Amino acid sequence: MVFNSLTFGVFFALVLAFHHAPGVSWRAKKVALLLASYLFYAAWNPPFVALLWISTFIDWQVAKRIHTAESRGARRSWMLVSVFANLGILGYFKYGGFLLANWQALMRSLGVEWQAPTWDIVLPVGISFYTFQTMAYSLDVYLRRAEPTKSLLDFSLFVTFFPQLVAGPIVRPVDLVPQFAAPPAPVPGRFAWGLSLMTLGMFQKVTVADGLLAPAADAVFGAGQALHWSDAWLGTLAFSGQIFCDFAGYSTIAIGSALCLGFSIGDNFRYPYAAVGFSDFWRRWHVSLSTWLRDYLYVPLGGNRKGPGRTYVNLMLTMLLGGLWHGASWNFVVWGGLHGLYLAVERFVRERVGPNRFAHTWLAQVALAMLTYFLVNLTWVFFRAREFGTAWGMVRSMLTFGDGARVLPTADVALVIGTVFAILLAHGLMRERRLEDVAARAPWWLNALVVGAMLFSVVISQGSSNAFIYFQF
Amino acid sequence: MPSSTSSSEPKGLGSPQQHSPLRDVPAGPWPRIAWAGVLVFALLLGGWEAYWRSQWFRPSYRNSDGLWALTHERIASEGGRGTLIVSSSRLLFDVHLEAWREETGQLPIQLGLEGTSPRPFLSQVARETNFSGLVVVGVTPPLFFPPPRGERMSALALTKQWSPADRWSQHLSMRFVEPYFAFYDPDTALFTVIRRQAWPARAGLEPRMPRVRKLSTTRITRQNDMWDRVERDPAYQKIARDTWLAFLNAPRPNVPPEVLKKGFEQLLAEVGEDVRRIRARGGEVVFVRPPSSGPFLAAENGGFPRERTWEPLLQATNAVGIHFEDHADLGDVELPEWSHIRAADTDRFTRALVRHVRAALVAKGTPREELGR
Repeated sequence: MVFNSLTFGVFFALVLAFHHAPGVSWRAKKVALLLASYLFYAAWNPPFVALLWISTFIDWQVAKRIHTAESRGARRSWMLVSVFANLGILGYFKYGGFLLANWQALMRSLGVEWQAPTWDIVLPVGISFYTFQTMAYSLDVYLRRAEPTKSLLDFSLFVTFFPQLVAGPIVRPVDLVPQFAAPPAPVPGRFAWGLSLMTLGMFQKVTVADGLLAPAADAVFGAGQALHWSDAWLGTLAFSGQIFCDFAGYSTIAIGSALCLGFSIGDNFRYPYAAVGFSDFWRRWHVSLSTWLRDYLYVPLGGNRKGPGRTYVNLMLTMLLGGLWHGASWNFVVWGGLHGLYLAVERFVRERVGPNRFAHTWLAQVALAMLTYFLVNLTWVFFRAREFGTAWGMVRSMLTFGDGARVLPTADVALVIGTVFAILLAHGLMRERRLEDVAARAPWWLNALVVGAMLFSVVISQGSSNAFIYFQF
Repeated sequence: MPSSTSSSEPKGLGSPQQHSPLRDVPAGPWPRIAWAGVLVFALLLGGWEAYWRSQWFRPSYRNSDGLWALTHERIASEGGRGTLIVSSSRLLFDVHLEAWREETGQLPIQLGLEGTSPRPFLSQVARETNFSGLVVVGVTPPLFFPPPRGERMSALALTKQWSPADRWSQHLSMRFVEPYFAFYDPDTALFTVIRRQAWPARAGLEPRMPRVRKLSTTRITRQNDMWDRVERDPAYQKIARDTWLAFLNAPRPNVPPEVLKKGFEQLLAEVGEDVRRIRARGGEVVFVRPPSSGPFLAAENGGFPRERTWEPLLQATNAVGIHFEDHADLGDVELPEWSHIRAADTDRFTRALVRHVRAALVAKGTPREELGR
């Protein structure tokens, strides 16, 4: 079920009521949370709950065997069982059709006519998130970063915990499993703060992403014709704001709902559009994925330990696979490739130029932030466009001031410009701040006004339970 | 990637404590803030509700895809029998379901969808259900005869895949929200309201079709009654008429005659196959051309001449057709915005329609028990 639905409202109220009921044992509460998480997932497509059970069973068993294995080879073998099982599930559901289509194209280019079988497989929602999460458990044990948990219930809950099950943040076992060991200590205001965060997340998703920006992005990327450069830019800017507010909104609701239950989940976004450079951007955008890729892909590949050449190769490989993680399409590979290229160029320049006083002036920081935002927007074109031709046509129009159709009415032009400006301003102001600190400094009545107004805007926007963009990944 | 991709930096994840992302709660009276926030929300929402009630809005069910899907499920739950209406908005508005029930003893399954060709829905019924009753197909020429299109095609997807969560949300909305709140209407959604304001025209932008404003209120049976504001508020009625004029005056693509001919032949073949499938199960299909007037009627008769569209359709399908121009009692109704019958006339129109359909089927030698008597 999606957070922005009546079903979730009732579901969450019932979960909270049982979770905070007096006289119920902690174990009973955890069992209830686990069952609720399965129900949360089954509410999309009940049979796919079996995938959660398979992932849970495999990594529970594998981690134990890695831990008790005596030889390095045995440990490695069990680790590979987890990797192949999880990537196998992911590959079958997510990349099967893509691989077949590309194999068919390759054969055709070699003069071999071969018709791929129809690949009509439904993609289980959130599969990329929970397979990475369970795989991290086995990998942590393999890398001796953590010991396997002794409680199957706690591990199952870690795999299935509904607030972040389908779109992250991708939580590490060492961060979440220990929290299940005992009831959380009471913290004054935690529940109400959690509800406030959920309201903020809903506001980002329903009001800003779906209401203010999505129509313009949809109109531009679905135009099906050459676009005037202004519309190409407006559509891209709209999407840049939409995907941030959609995904960050989901993460904020996940964090808020977990807090209401007494659990802590780390940040997934830190005002990324105020990033100065791309390494800074990836410290702020989808942090749980970028750190996952760093710890489980880039570093095991050798990181920067094997010379400059290998460092650039590792960087590029990590980002290409990170792009492919988002979806089975060459557009996502291009998106990842561009980010890999940006990171490589930035690293190259930093190594050549070294520390530079001018680069740290306010003016240079703003200019570099704008350059970063500009280049990030170019990557969003490939991320959002359905076909490569559409993306290339838009980028060409954006960079060459191309002529073409105008498809956005004045209302959307105004809404996109106003909203994107507000997002950039907010990110700029919050770049070195934390929301918690800002909220603590504001007078209580102002916080109440903001929460009430956000909730009001969510309700009167009448969003229609639109799925979050990242559910498809 | 973070700059800490450098593997010479600490890898982290060494211990749970090091990585525990425990969040702090900002200082402040958060329970008080939450309650005050709820109060602010309630006051704002109360004002918003009062405003829309002052603008003629009243609580009613939403004409949503979910309600359509629940209605569609009656095909299975009622054993594939009874009377089914597939149509664009005209039979959705014009047929009074209670009057039909009184005439025939059965409540029809109303599957009409505004602004949408009924042909894909007829095909769905013919090819993917076991329906063997009477199908009444509404024919609004500009939507029925061109290639299928429409605002509400999305509803069709719910016959194949409708998640339990969405189904529960639909029931919750119909039980606890829709009957009580006037503001919960697609026409009053915040960004719909903002976008329909009189914004300055943008240079170079091709003229856009106006969005059709609210025309009806919906009951739980999917009975749609013309909204009283359309009938009684001249300014609003003008908005509705101007919207139709914009559609009627919009430039049309210049389609070569041979393409049109081929498309029409394909239409006849597809609809004919749908009718054949329903008949093979013991069902029957009747086509109804509901009334229109003013510029709408002129455009429809000019663009889709009866002898070149309606008559060949009936001939190809060997089906009964009820055309409002053939029956004085079907044309003797008021159409405030030229396209749909005012609420007060739908009862009389429906009873007359049932009589004509019944008589025509008897005359053809294929009487139907769904029509009673």
